[in-house]
Amino acid sequence: MPGRQLLMSFPVTETSHTLAEYRERGGYGALDKALRQMSPADIVKEVTASGLQGRGGAAFAVGRKWQVIQHDDGHPHYLVANADEGEPGTFKDRWILENAPHLLLESMLITSFALNVRNCFVYIRGEFDLPYRRLAAAVEEAYAAGLFGKNILGTDFSCDIVVYRGAGAYVAGEASGLLASLEGKKSYPRNRPPRLTVRGLYQQPTVVNNVESLSNIAIIIGNGAEAYRKVGTPKSPGTRLFSVSGHVNKPGVYEVELGYPWMKFLDEDCGGMLHGRAIKCVVPGGVSSKVLTGADIANLKLTHEDLWDAGSTLGSGGMVVIAEGTCMVTLMQVILRFYHHESCGQCTPCRHGTGWMHRIIDRIVAGKGVPEDIERLYYISKFNDGTTICGLGDAAGYACTGILDKFRDEFEYYIEHKRSRLDGNLECLRSS
Amino acid sequence: MPEIFINGQAIEADANLTVMQVAAAHGHFIPYFCWHPQLSTAGNCRMCLVEVEGRGLDIACNMPVSAGMKVFTESDEVKAHRKAILQFITLNHPVDCGICDKAGECSLQDYHYTYNGAASTSRDEKVQSTKFYNLSNRILLDNERCILCLRCTRFTHEISKSMALGVERRGDVSNIRPVEDRPLSEDPYSDNIIDICPVGALLSRQFLHKSRVWYLKPTPSVCPGCSRGCTINIWHRKPEWFVKSLDQAQNTSIARVTPLENPAVNGPWICNKGRDLAQILERTRAGEPMLKGRPVTVAAAIEEARRLIGAARHPLALVSNWGSNEELDAFKQYLGEVFHSFVKTDWQPEQGERIEDDLLIRADKNPNTTKARSLFHAGAPAYNDGTDLVLVWGEGASFASIPAKAKIIFLNSFLAPENGHADVFIPVSTQTERSGHYTNFAGVVSGFEPCFPKQATVTDAEVLFKALAAPARGHP
Amino acid sequence: MKHLIPEFEKLRARFPAGFESSLVLPCLRRIQEDRGYVADDDIEALTAYLGVPRIQIEEVLSFYTQFRRKPIGRWHLQMCRNMSCSMRGSQTILAYVEKRLGIRPGQTTSDGRYTLSTAECLGSCGTAPMMMVNDTYHENLTHEKLDALLEGLK
Repeated sequence: MPGRQLLMSFPVTETSHTLAEYRERGGYGALDKALRQMSPADIVKEVTASGLQGRGGAAFAVGRKWQVIQHDDGHPHYLVANADEGEPGTFKDRWILENAPHLLLESMLITSFALNVRNCFVYIRGEFDLPYRRLAAAVEEAYAAGLFGKNILGTDFSCDIVVYRGAGAYVAGEASGLLASLEGKKSYPRNRPPRLTVRGLYQQPTVVNNVESLSNIAIIIGNGAEAYRKVGTPKSPGTRLFSVSGHVNKPGVYEVELGYPWMKFLDEDCGGMLHGRAIKCVVPGGVSSKVLTGADIANLKLTHEDLWDAGSTLGSGGMVVIAEGTCMVTLMQVILRFYHHESCGQCTPCRHGTGWMHRIIDRIVAGKGVPEDIERLYYISKFNDGTTICGLGDAAGYACTGILDKFRDEFEYYIEHKRSRLDGNLECLRSS
Repeated sequence: MPEIFINGQAIEADANLTVMQVAAAHGHFIPYFCWHPQLSTAGNCRMCLVEVEGRGLDIACNMPVSAGMKVFTESDEVKAHRKAILQFITLNHPVDCGICDKAGECSLQDYHYTYNGAASTSRDEKVQSTKFYNLSNRILLDNERCILCLRCTRFTHEISKSMALGVERRGDVSNIRPVEDRPLSEDPYSDNIIDICPVGALLSRQFLHKSRVWYLKPTPSVCPGCSRGCTINIWHRKPEWFVKSLDQAQNTSIARVTPLENPAVNGPWICNKGRDLAQILERTRAGEPMLKGRPVTVAAAIEEARRLIGAARHPLALVSNWGSNEELDAFKQYLGEVFHSFVKTDWQPEQGERIEDDLLIRADKNPNTTKARSLFHAGAPAYNDGTDLVLVWGEGASFASIPAKAKIIFLNSFLAPENGHADVFIPVSTQTERSGHYTNFAGVVSGFEPCFPKQATVTDAEVLFKALAAPARGHP
Repeated sequence: MKHLIPEFEKLRARFPAGFESSLVLPCLRRIQEDRGYVADDDIEALTAYLGVPRIQIEEVLSFYTQFRRKPIGRWHLQMCRNMSCSMRGSQTILAYVEKRLGIRPGQTTSDGRYTLSTAECLGSCGTAPMMMVNDTYHENLTHEKLDALLEGLK
């Protein structure tokens, strides 16, 4: 176990996701406490005190986002759980939706009570079918038990929920793109100002939080912020779910207490590298986070601050482990093809930049690269950094420059020799 | 009023405005493609990026002013970013200015020379897309030139409300497309998207490849298509660029019509009828004065008209509501005592034409009803058995209703069968051949200037009325 | 689409007032589930039913990867080829499928049974390589598993 477990604290069985078993584990006790013993302001204060950071990618303090909502401003407020989970390497929200849907629902009820939300939504990516069915079934159970609808638990708090399915667009994972999609339109993100907490869904104050961020709310309210802060580190309280994939023996979703040593996690919990190969590099938090070499991570702990200092980020918690012998040029082709496919096309730098980067890497992989291509990739990344409507442009740039910074020599070799130094290999099939 | 700083200059800024608007109002030009004062803020072109001390770069069109902010519009960072944005925009742009009608009035061309000036740094093939796409029977779309600023789609959603345009697909294969049941052809404001397109992606089919814009000059005028009286520019060949060996009719024809921005009347828009003014104003002209179909000189025609006026006991006039303020005043002054005058409605709405809406189009399809009715009777002409002379000025008269025994003096610009039947026919000038003013439905007066010389046998109505008031030779 | 209206009415009732526009995605999904794709007269009918601009529906249909305006094979095989799947052998699996079915991505077998596509990350990286067949995820694919899978898809 990589530290204390808060969310993945029960054995997963065929029925562990049901309301009955959730209740057996103490489920909906936090909701009861919130509705009967706390005020909305108390809840916001508690969540702020917990130091909970967003678990979707940006690590923005959840309490700080909530504080913008004015409880009695006369506007309808909306809460949306972001279950779009499209960041390559990430599949941990899926774990919650399939195995702990009631933890999410209870947390959303507490949050709705705190933020004066009458209608909340879960926006779930269209491809997630089993997670959708599990969540929809949990919603049915909750309504039947009077946990949604009017006068919940006999109080005057009423709340309804709709589970809304996406239809295939990574950019719908961006909060304003998500709301555009939820409004029934193409998923074009929006410029800020105004912030979504001021004008969001149908121009009303809206809080969009990641599924895992929200799922921590019931735990924080149930046990208290102080207890929560005892887990993790001062700058990175609590735990994070990591989706581990790539060249490890035991890929999967793991809950890690923040502060846990990274190499220990990979060697022990994740079963070490396939065929005992050395680590070449790791993408820590989804493809949009900068890659770190085996040497970079040797002494790091899994915390936000460790990664920020190392020039990367925990991001979405999508950890992809890459073994020695993997061709980073061929891997970059996969990555840049992804951003090109997913760019919504609204703003100039990303629309043209993602296509340009993809065409350059295709040309390099085809053996037709030229030395200036590397500088060109840096140029495109630089002018997508902080210039776009949403983070997709920046992310494409980070993914690209992160790999170039660490593995430039592989690209120079490929360009000069018109072939990969590692035969274009992406797999880890043998020990060497 | 918060105080902000733009390039070091302290400015008292309206708290409700964006940095873009404040900068523009104080002479600091920030380049842009997608921003338009009449449309919602899209913020997608990223051309208006400016630097704010302590905050880095962000777009100015969506940036609220805040007290004490220090904005820099010409810093090295801003300049480098403008160059890069232009590199991105021209990455897949065909740069076919040599065959593009927009050349000479294209924001992309202008910004390239001002802010970039460098060739593309890409070695890769440009993304190709549809060219010569039939957006409607009036508008051609070139998706390769399109920079997806979305001004056109926003126009159809927010101004004309035809909801006719949208974007298909995504990324760098996105294309502007019309909705499939084609209401763009039914949108009478569609051609405004040609004006607001900052590049040559949306082109007028009627103007396609007709002329380079730098050979043309715009003359301010007023659209006579309805009582809104939108101010327009009529574009025609500059005298110094008159063709000598090609078809010389080019020198005296309307090349195109565009809006002349006017906050009091039409803002920056006109409807398609105004674009098609050549169809009205360049119909075959009546060439010569005639007496019952027999060509005569202008002097002879005027003399005969004076004689008929002198001899008439109950002369009646049908006054044109296409007459200018000056012409109507002249009629009143010189012939108002002579004729029992009624305002005629020269033009009725045509089949399929939009009657009225809450944007620009008015049901009265005539430019000067307001002035005409301020001087003369509205309502049907009071013919009776005594009516022995009818002066018909302009089009739209019901000749069948004129008593059979009355003589007819007919003043018209255009070729018509009735010209040859009138006792006296005198061709008169159109609005492109003189200056004048119209008064619109709300009382706003707008002026037009002449574009073309008139033929020698064509007379200005204003001059004619004074001439007709003089007695005939041999009469007191 | 008419026979789906009672369902749509129930769905509409779950949203707050004024959220008609939001119904575009769920209604299109249901129409496609029912017919196999979204037809031109579905667009017309949905425009009228929801009172949204028709262009909005057309844009949505072309923007999202899951909507289609033409029928496809009975079984839609969508092979993920993003990062982790590529690192765990998705290319070999894809090549194997192509060989077995005789089609490339974007094509449908002549008997109308299978349509093959590639997909970006489907959120199943820990069980790579994987593919989506209609709504179901098939994970930890091997040639053997693929053989069994294709056998079972009639």
